[in-house]
Amino acid sequence: MYFISGTFILFLAVSVFLYYIVPARLKWVVLLAAGAVFYLSGGLASGLYLLFTAAATFISAIILDKLNEIKAEIPKSDKELQEKNKRQKKTVVTVCLILNFGMLFMLKYLGFSLDAIGNLLGKELSAPNLVMPLGVSFFIFQSIGYVIDVYRAKYRADRNFFKYLLFVSFFPLMIQGPISRHDKLASQLTAPHIFDADNLKNGIQRMLWGYFKKMVIADRAAVVVTTFFADHDSYGGAVAAFAVIMYCINLYCDFSGGIDITIGAARLFGITLEENFRRPIFSTSLAEYWRRWHITLGGWMRDYVFYPLSLSKGFGKIGKWARGKFGGKVGKILPTAMATFIVYFIIGIWHGASFRFIAYGFMNGAIITSSLLLAGTYSKLREKLRIDQSSIGWQIFSMIRTCLIVFIGRYITRSPNLTVGFELIGRTLNPFTFNFGEILSGTLLSLGLTSGDFAIIAVSCAAMLAVEYYCEYHGQLNDVLSKKNAFVQWLPLAAIMLAILLFGIMRGSYISSEFIYKQY
Amino acid sequence: MTSKKWLIMFASTVVLFAVMLAGFNILTDPFGVFGDPIFDWTSYNATNNPRTAKISYLDKNHEKYDSYIIGCSSTSSFPVDAFNEIFDAKFYNLIMYGADMLDCEDMAKYVIENYEVKNIVLNVYLDNGIFFGDEPNEYTHSMLPRVDGSGFFDTVSFYTRFAFANPSYGIAKIKAKSSDTYLAQSFDVFDEKTGAYDKKKRDAEPIRNLADYYSAYPVFLYYPEHSGYSLPKTKECMDSVERIVRLCEESGVELTVVTAPVYADYIEYFDINDVINFYSSLAEVTDFWDFSYSSVSFEPRYFYDSTHFRNAVGYMAAARMGENSAYSDSFAEIIFEENGLEASTTAYIPDDFGYYVTAENANEYFASYANASAASYIDISKKVPVLMYHHISETQEGAGIITPEVFEDHIKALADNGYTAISFSDLYAYVNCSGSLPAKPIVITFDDGYTSNYEYAYPILEKYGMCSTIFVIGSAFGCDTYKDTGVEMLPHFGPNETIEMVKSGLIDIQSHTFDMHQSVSLEKTQAREHMAQLDGESEDDYISAIRSDINQSIVQLEDITDETVYVLAYPQGYYNDLVQTVLSEAGIKITLSTDWGVSTLIRGLPQSLFAMKRLSAGNGTDGEALITMIEGFTLN
Repeated sequence: MYFISGTFILFLAVSVFLYYIVPARLKWVVLLAAGAVFYLSGGLASGLYLLFTAAATFISAIILDKLNEIKAEIPKSDKELQEKNKRQKKTVVTVCLILNFGMLFMLKYLGFSLDAIGNLLGKELSAPNLVMPLGVSFFIFQSIGYVIDVYRAKYRADRNFFKYLLFVSFFPLMIQGPISRHDKLASQLTAPHIFDADNLKNGIQRMLWGYFKKMVIADRAAVVVTTFFADHDSYGGAVAAFAVIMYCINLYCDFSGGIDITIGAARLFGITLEENFRRPIFSTSLAEYWRRWHITLGGWMRDYVFYPLSLSKGFGKIGKWARGKFGGKVGKILPTAMATFIVYFIIGIWHGASFRFIAYGFMNGAIITSSLLLAGTYSKLREKLRIDQSSIGWQIFSMIRTCLIVFIGRYITRSPNLTVGFELIGRTLNPFTFNFGEILSGTLLSLGLTSGDFAIIAVSCAAMLAVEYYCEYHGQLNDVLSKKNAFVQWLPLAAIMLAILLFGIMRGSYISSEFIYKQY
Repeated sequence: MTSKKWLIMFASTVVLFAVMLAGFNILTDPFGVFGDPIFDWTSYNATNNPRTAKISYLDKNHEKYDSYIIGCSSTSSFPVDAFNEIFDAKFYNLIMYGADMLDCEDMAKYVIENYEVKNIVLNVYLDNGIFFGDEPNEYTHSMLPRVDGSGFFDTVSFYTRFAFANPSYGIAKIKAKSSDTYLAQSFDVFDEKTGAYDKKKRDAEPIRNLADYYSAYPVFLYYPEHSGYSLPKTKECMDSVERIVRLCEESGVELTVVTAPVYADYIEYFDINDVINFYSSLAEVTDFWDFSYSSVSFEPRYFYDSTHFRNAVGYMAAARMGENSAYSDSFAEIIFEENGLEASTTAYIPDDFGYYVTAENANEYFASYANASAASYIDISKKVPVLMYHHISETQEGAGIITPEVFEDHIKALADNGYTAISFSDLYAYVNCSGSLPAKPIVITFDDGYTSNYEYAYPILEKYGMCSTIFVIGSAFGCDTYKDTGVEMLPHFGPNETIEMVKSGLIDIQSHTFDMHQSVSLEKTQAREHMAQLDGESEDDYISAIRSDINQSIVQLEDITDETVYVLAYPQGYYNDLVQTVLSEAGIKITLSTDWGVSTLIRGLPQSLFAMKRLSAGNGTDGEALITMIEGFTLN
């Protein structure tokens, strides 16, 4: 079941209706049942993976919780028992991580790894053909976060498996997160929310905005991207740049639109999810971009990879060594820079099993690490050039610089392989292969969209940017709107609904009669 | 505004849009589900979904029919008019693209239960063994609930689905209405009255040699490569056929089962034993006419595309089925008599095409089923050179003018080299009936109807015993001045010369249009030099002009010659699909272009007589050179 379907809307409406009519103590059961229906509509096999993760993390957390209880009773003076307890906890958490990440590796990375090894050995190695469960990375990361939090005794383990299962399988989160934390979400899921018109209104508004971004903008831009990359050798650098810009638009509207639908859908049940995007286009540095883009993944990496690494004994030793070798400043920054690099490297791999994602993570890690290492130099340079960091001009320059870096990175992630990605970047940067004339000669209209479609993308993106600008600098637009009269409130509602209907739904489910006939 | 009021506003907007959407879909009704109150355009609706649109049409019009042809898209070319004659019935072709046998069963049941039915012709195609009970698309392949016996909830779901369908379908219909043309387009592929695919356009295209056909339809040269197809639904299909057989028996409906020709390359996707098993299983259920695999299956020109056989092949099938009812070509009877031709008027049918399979003969028949093979080139086709002359003069020179001496040299060379001049009725007999052609045929034609044809050519042709056809411009007939102007032009012969030449039995007079070969310099308004559409002329006016002109030409010439006019030489050789279609509808069976070359006639394909190529030679080409030129085309 996909978010972009009448079936999902109907399913959601029925779930919301049932949620509010059942007795308070059964409300969470409705959510759990809805999750089961949603997940199993994708097949029984994929449901089993989710159940495995839920069971493994649930049991691990309970054992860890018990060990935490034992630890509390061990006298601080009994170092041996303390150590034993620590070892036991580490063993449990390690086994749990191996089980879950092992499953993730099997599903997502085994084929890629065997290919790579096979290439090295000159042999053909093939992985078993496994069903990829819906949102596997998301539910594993979410569950592992929970286990680590219990390991750290941040909170107690959940004792009710079905309530925990609801945390792992809350259906709006299933497709693309946001990766939620147990302490923020679980209690909300099981709390008996009463009907609240505000929640319903905000949820619907948020979902409409998401559908608009996804169906009107992203799905259109995707056509250009797919057409271009299916035949990328036939175009010059200018068209390549245009296609990658379309890919940036497509990716942002697709992902953030999906998250809007997720957050809106959860809100219908009175549940507030964490934000996953905070207008990344206004980022003034790549590090800030990653704090605004896919926030929950970044947060997860920070809490469960970055801090454990940078504060680990090994990294501490490296820092010590660096301080002795390069002086205090570098020694202080080096462990942080190394942990940052590793985090971005992992984020790269998280996006997919391919060298281009590894290169993408490498690129991000390298840029952010180098900016950390060179922060002092940059600061001195700005002083020399008398640049005021808070000036609007510098802010805009920084935003454009960030966008350009992200844009270059997208060449790599969208290309079919790393070589093509670099080749396309070269084609765009080389004035002899840039071929701007292609843009003017109507080549863009051969990329699968009409001029009307491009106009729809342009107007919709302008509207989206205007809304994002307002929200960035002035606060929530719907708060302002709700104070206006009924007609002023109705106009954007009707406009967005019409846009979704006419430019989204109409486009999606229509098969021209010519096409129908040509099949026969 | 409170959130509650906002929710009410939201719900009201949803309802408003829903009502608007449903209203729009019901009024435009692109699938013919709601009675199509505005457009009443069955052909369009049936293109979107033949199952819904055709039943909606028949519910209103079933009194016009008493018999139905049912099956998937390969059923289309079983001809309604020929079946009407053979079965003495009024057929409607209920073809449904992508139909499986369950669709056919539902349709048969519905028409039998709701209409007066005499005959049902059921086509069982090979694909019916692949699919059964599938509905690949809920808009284009769904049945009306009253046909497939849906319950209450399915019925509600059905109408809800169509009421809230994507409005693009309705918008496309509105757009299509404004661009509708006489010839079918991709959005209105059905003929409303017969129910079959409207193949006017494809049936107007000239069919020539195989290389030309491959070039126009490369799918036959590069047939998609697949293999390992199987027929897993054979049992379900045959059980369904058996239920139809029983239903027809119980209802007193005459059922005839046919199997459509399958293109040979497609059959190769399957294990031939599976194919034999499929058709043998059918024989266990019912007797049937098998057309599935014969020499026809190997000839691409007998197919419109990789799957669908041509209407012309449908007529051959009908002729085979009608052999016992003395089914024959009534047009052939007329022109053969007029031309003293002793060819059989029975339609051409390849010897191995069509066999009535019964439970008794099935084993023997299927034992040699796999031996089907292509017919040899000489068995089904023949290159026939057509010579084109215009004016003959001893003194004048110019394009298209030849001296009597050179003309006689040509005719003598033809005679000396064993060429036999034949008439267009011979060509018609060869292509459409059981006629044969001489080893070295030649067709001699003159365009425009100049008096010089009578003065010089006629005696020479008489001397060598060669027949010929002269294409006369109606408005110039018997004139030596251009109509209504008094401006002198080359003299054209008139009724007396015509009667004399026709009576000789050597000269045939046919049409070069009545007045569609005008002089640009002498016309006061926009001249129609040839049969192209004039600038700014609407399609309706263009069609009316062609119809009126050809009818005038036919009446004029038939009045004088008392012989059928059925051949037309396109002025300046211009032709298009629309002209060819309108001419065919007016009774013109053969047309000639000025395309340089020699046409290949193909037996059973009337389209090989359309826009035939011609060769011309002037004073610079003597008889010997002419023979060399002709042989350059015919011997290769």
